[in-house]
Amino acid sequence: MSGALGKVLCLRKEALSQTKQALSLVRFQLREENPSCSAGNILLNTIRSYKSKPTHGIGRYKHLIIPTESKKKIGKTEMKPISQGTDHIYGVLNVHLTAYDMILVENYAKYVHKLCNDYSIKVEESYALPTKTMEILQMQEQSNKMLLDSILTTHERVVQISNLSSTFAAIFLEILQSNLPEGVNLSVREHTEEAYKERFKARPELEELLAKVN
Amino acid sequence: MAAPLRRVLYGAARGLGRPWRPRTLCAAAAAAAAPGRSAAAPSGRSPWRLLGALCLQRPPVISQPLTPLQVEMAELLQQIEVEKSRYSDHEMRALEEIRKLERKKADLYDSDDDDDDDEKEILLTQDLEDTWEQTFLQFKPHPRVTEADQKNDRTSLQRKLDQNLVLLVKEKIGDQETWILPHAEWQVGETLRETAERVLAILSQNSMEAKFLGNAPCGYYKFKFPQAFRTENNIGAKVFFFKALLQNGDLSQARNKDNHVWVTKEELGDYLKPKYLAQVRRFFMDI
Repeated sequence: MSGALGKVLCLRKEALSQTKQALSLVRFQLREENPSCSAGNILLNTIRSYKSKPTHGIGRYKHLIIPTESKKKIGKTEMKPISQGTDHIYGVLNVHLTAYDMILVENYAKYVHKLCNDYSIKVEESYALPTKTMEILQMQEQSNKMLLDSILTTHERVVQISNLSSTFAAIFLEILQSNLPEGVNLSVREHTEEAYKERFKARPELEELLAKVN
Repeated sequence: MAAPLRRVLYGAARGLGRPWRPRTLCAAAAAAAAPGRSAAAPSGRSPWRLLGALCLQRPPVISQPLTPLQVEMAELLQQIEVEKSRYSDHEMRALEEIRKLERKKADLYDSDDDDDDDEKEILLTQDLEDTWEQTFLQFKPHPRVTEADQKNDRTSLQRKLDQNLVLLVKEKIGDQETWILPHAEWQVGETLRETAERVLAILSQNSMEAKFLGNAPCGYYKFKFPQAFRTENNIGAKVFFFKALLQNGDLSQARNKDNHVWVTKEELGDYLKPKYLAQVRRFFMDI
């Protein structure tokens, strides 16, 4: 075995006498160790020759990707308005659409979303706030009782926008207002911490514990 | 979030002592607002004078009527929706009551079989529907075509309820009266939007409330003074238009009826000069 290897090694030696590989192979011969042939432990194989080859690390790609931050549920920071020099860009704005008719408000929210996409205004989120039900009791004639209910549900949809420039804001608002359908109320507000916290459900146990601690 | 204007504002605050003779195709500057000031323009200032103008719009009050195609489509969708839907609570109750009434009329009626609830049911769904019908008939909506439309009274705000109306004023410039959007001369130390707000205050004497949509102007018009009145430092003027939506109020009654009009986009051509009109058309939105 070693004889045949020795021949191969010699041939190699002649061909690539100046390369590192040849030197390392020569080193093998001198030491009279041939780890690849030994029947012993794999751990004895301390010198890995392929690490020095040019193809080392050929499959590596993770170092080329831009690391994305993992999104946390709570503790998401808000964007502050960017005011640099001449151009002024609004921070995060919330467009609230409220109506009694759910189909109308949803379709209009869809329209606003598409409009923002067309004008390359970034839409951060598009969510719905819980519906509020209102019961209307009418006074019955010839009696003091309140009867004859009707139930009204108020639906609210929010489209969250960022990166709106102040020059375009006026035009954008005018488009929104002129295309508003009947029965839909429009309100554009800045996004605040309270508005963000409003979406979460109240946790009575937590509040109780906090009250106990304080 | 105030956004100061992008351009550095130069201004030569000159008083207009003499009346201007307007050029054929240009609207000249108004002498109304700015008091006479002594001219002392340093050489570094630009020779253009700055004016802030107000495009006061009354947004439409009612929605525009649907086109025939839209009407057809709406009816079709409604029909599909009704045919695919299920009975609501109210309709179920109505059907139940019809069945109960039929059973009562039948000879095999046995009062013990009926539930107790039936006795307490004074108000049938049919009665409810009748009362609703009555209240609906009592409701009378306002007519779409108002009096002002019929009279074609252009100074009133009640006409053309489904379209945008803009305010035009007639200013006496030199020896000619031209229709323009109301404007005022820019004074040092204020932003152009404040100039436009000043125009509003002067026009309405604080009886009108308007909402400005932003700090940036929506359009501009540049014109040169006629040759006879040009000097080194006074070539012409630039008018910057600001858009505002009227919330409530109207022009003060003190103002003469002949001097102001509320017009729609189509009617703008009747009043404005061609080049001025071309610039105004660019920012006056129509639905």
